[in-house]
Amino acid sequence: MSKESQMRAAINQKLIEMGERERLKELLRAKLVECGWKDQLKAHCKDVIREKGLEHVTVEDLVTEVTPKGRALVPDSVKKELLQRIRAFLAQHATL
Amino acid sequence: MKMEDMPLSGPDNTKLEALVHDIYSELVEDACLGLCFEVHRAVKQGYFFLDETDQESMKEFEIVDQPGVDIFGQVYNQWKNKECECPNCKRLIAASRFAPHLEKCLGMGRNSSRIANRRLASNNNMSKSESDQEDNDDLNDNDWSYGAEKKAKKRKSDKNQNSPRRSKSLKHKNGELGSSISSEPYKYNYSTGINYETLGPDEVRSLLTTQCGVISEHTKKMCTRSQRCPQHTDEQRRAVRVFLLGPSAPLLPDADAVVENDSFDIPDGQTLMSRLQWEDSPDISPTDSASSKASTNHTDSRKPKKKKRASLGLNSGGGGGAGGGGGGVGLGVGGSLTGSSSSQSNISLSTKKKRPKVSAPTMPSIYDDLN
Repeated sequence: MSKESQMRAAINQKLIEMGERERLKELLRAKLVECGWKDQLKAHCKDVIREKGLEHVTVEDLVTEVTPKGRALVPDSVKKELLQRIRAFLAQHATL
Repeated sequence: MKMEDMPLSGPDNTKLEALVHDIYSELVEDACLGLCFEVHRAVKQGYFFLDETDQESMKEFEIVDQPGVDIFGQVYNQWKNKECECPNCKRLIAASRFAPHLEKCLGMGRNSSRIANRRLASNNNMSKSESDQEDNDDLNDNDWSYGAEKKAKKRKSDKNQNSPRRSKSLKHKNGELGSSISSEPYKYNYSTGINYETLGPDEVRSLLTTQCGVISEHTKKMCTRSQRCPQHTDEQRRAVRVFLLGPSAPLLPDADAVVENDSFDIPDGQTLMSRLQWEDSPDISPTDSASSKASTNHTDSRKPKKKKRASLGLNSGGGGGAGGGGGGVGLGVGGSLTGSSSSQSNISLSTKKKRPKVSAPTMPSIYDDLN
């Protein structure tokens, strides 16, 4: 297991070092805005906020309410593309 | 552990796939967290619900599409006849005319500053003419009404060289001349030349030692360029010096020797009289000033004319010491009348020679008047 976690840390470090993580994040953000994910989640946020009252909303509330829905709402095409990019990165740098 | 050791295929493939999914979900969570921060901030700053509108307000702010009104339902030409108050003169001016008026009123711009300067100058010198000043205002800008424009035009046609306003400012100019004439000989080198008739002997001499000084046939002004000015020849310069300073004047322009004042200035009474009449003949002035106007400014071109008028009045009135009315120049003429040796006599000698023949016929009649 320690071997497993070591490998994970190494990969994460590589992702950050190469700037690939930043690139992936930017790509995901653009895709999600493009496909309307952001607007859907915002609408959901509105509901949550109305429910809780404008004054009593905290970031934690929002995160717990929004994250599952956000995960579910990501379109398959976006998910596939992102996974493909990550795989390609790993393959490229594993063979080095 | 090195990435090179990572197996990419075989039984570890599922492990790798899990890793990829982990990374992916991390990224998605990042995006969600970012959104949450954004929304939270918007809520706390109070702009999250700004784009929410209810039907009522939508109706209220509906875009109006009717002829005669703008999209807000307002009549769009309601500002057309708006009037503004000029901060300078406190009058109400139509908004569309406000900018041009302000330009004139404050004296910005090329023409306007000239007008404003003139107005200022006349303001300083004519304390008595408060009402006159108002008239000038109306003359100078016709913003007030359409009627005023017509009126102004009419007035402009009435306005001739003898209008009180002009002569007043002229008088002011001449007064200045008379008072400061001896202290500052170079003051009158405006741009094109010097009116030699207004200068005293000392000034003539000092001018001639430093400048070309050839008298132009058109403007009757002296050339103010250096003594080697290419426009005039040495011969002309010499002639002018002989002419103004007498035969004993230095022949070379740059000679520093100064002629005695009295040596050239012994006109008898008769020539003096006739010379005065030369000066006084009013017929010359229009053409004179017209020709000189091209290159000189207003006050410059009118100076000699005013002077002539003043001295004319002196003569027809029987001479004597009534020169005060004509300002400094009038006084100068009076001085030469009494026989004192001033530059005036020399100068007028030159005018006699240079003046065109036009003025000749008028001379005897004036002469008779005088006697």
